[in-house]
Amino acid sequence: MSFYGEVSGVVFLSLFISVTSTIIASMAGMVLAIPIALKDFRIKKYIIRLAETFMSIPPVLMGLVVYLMLSRKGPLGELGILFTPTAMIIAQSLLVFPIVFGLTVSAIGTRGRKIKKNCVALGAGRRDTLILIIKECRVQLLSVAAAGFGRAISEVGAVMMVGGNIRGETRVMTTYIALETGQGNFNKAITIGVILLLVAFMVNFLLHGLSKIDEK
Amino acid sequence: MNIRVINSSKEYNGKEVLHIDELNFKEGYVIALMGLNGSGKTTFLQCVSGLEAFTKGTVLYDNSSSFETVKKDISVMLQRPYLFNSSVIENIIIGLKFRKFSEEKIQERLKHYVSYFDINDLLNKNTRELSGGEQAKVSLLRTAILETQMTFLDEPTASMDIESTLIAEKIIKTMAEGKRSVILVTHDLLQAKRVADYVIFLDKGRIIEQGETQKVLNFPEHKLLRQILRSD
Repeated sequence: MSFYGEVSGVVFLSLFISVTSTIIASMAGMVLAIPIALKDFRIKKYIIRLAETFMSIPPVLMGLVVYLMLSRKGPLGELGILFTPTAMIIAQSLLVFPIVFGLTVSAIGTRGRKIKKNCVALGAGRRDTLILIIKECRVQLLSVAAAGFGRAISEVGAVMMVGGNIRGETRVMTTYIALETGQGNFNKAITIGVILLLVAFMVNFLLHGLSKIDEK
Repeated sequence: MNIRVINSSKEYNGKEVLHIDELNFKEGYVIALMGLNGSGKTTFLQCVSGLEAFTKGTVLYDNSSSFETVKKDISVMLQRPYLFNSSVIENIIIGLKFRKFSEEKIQERLKHYVSYFDINDLLNKNTRELSGGEQAKVSLLRTAILETQMTFLDEPTASMDIESTLIAEKIIKTMAEGKRSVILVTHDLLQAKRVADYVIFLDKGRIIEQGETQKVLNFPEHKLLRQILRSD
């Protein structure tokens, strides 16, 4: 396989895994976080503290947990998905979930309550209220998703452990850089590093563009 | 709609901020809710309108304690309303959309209510481009357009000029036609005299005086109210 062929495969797989895990984590995280942000209840602060703790969980630890779950002797070993992109998506979704959850609770906070109160004052049901809160806070929620994507695309420990960094199968940009650096192939590592930076730049550029559309 | 508040109180962090022994809202009235800052007017309005719950007590809506059954017959304009990030038209008709009104009915009501204020040139503007007074007009219109049985208004004219205030008062009077009622929070004694049929005066979370507007504002019994009216 040529270098460029290999690089394009690695870039595509990286984007596929990171985008998929960001979408999964964002959907689950936001759906759970918005109602929690809007209500006050006794254990709310403990849930937020827990989410904040998991926001800074080392990726290798998450990788270890998912590895143990998916390994042959683990509870989900029968699925036979260890060292596949599916396992990498699971690990990254679990890493991104607390980030999306925690940041969404903060982003919705006071503004979300104000929107909710105004919706109820005008006779909106729960569904209409939720849709309006998402619509009104869309720029903040896009930023939350971007932060989650940033975590996913830059993460190396968990995908290395559960993916195995198999050439043409589970090798992504970050594990490629780690491998090539270890072998002293700095040119290849730098090339992928630059691509990684470009991807991050493009995501931010896209987000900024969407915010501008919203302002208009 | 008849609303009856029985032995109800509201607490924040264990401290009682509002206590109502008994209160009946009559149909077809504009009721002015008055009092000094921090007297509990907004808390009262939010608890009776169902936006918040009383800590203790009972509120009966048409002799039923179920708020859900009358929810669609109640609308509220908050003290600091939030206008949605869309056009003025979208904001005015949003409550009708929540209530699944037909497009024909929505257009009919929109035409009628927009004619009160001269805001035709604002209709397609985003609400972020409006001044404070213009935002207040839009907020009042989006509540008035719902034509609910009971309407709660928390200082609706606070940021309006005198001309707009008088138009707003005309709208408020139409909101209490027939069996419909309005609870109006206001600091403006003259506004209460112009618009309200009944006045409730709160102090430190308790009703200190209530009755027909002319009686309460011309011949007040409570010392505090007499002092306020004298200084006015």
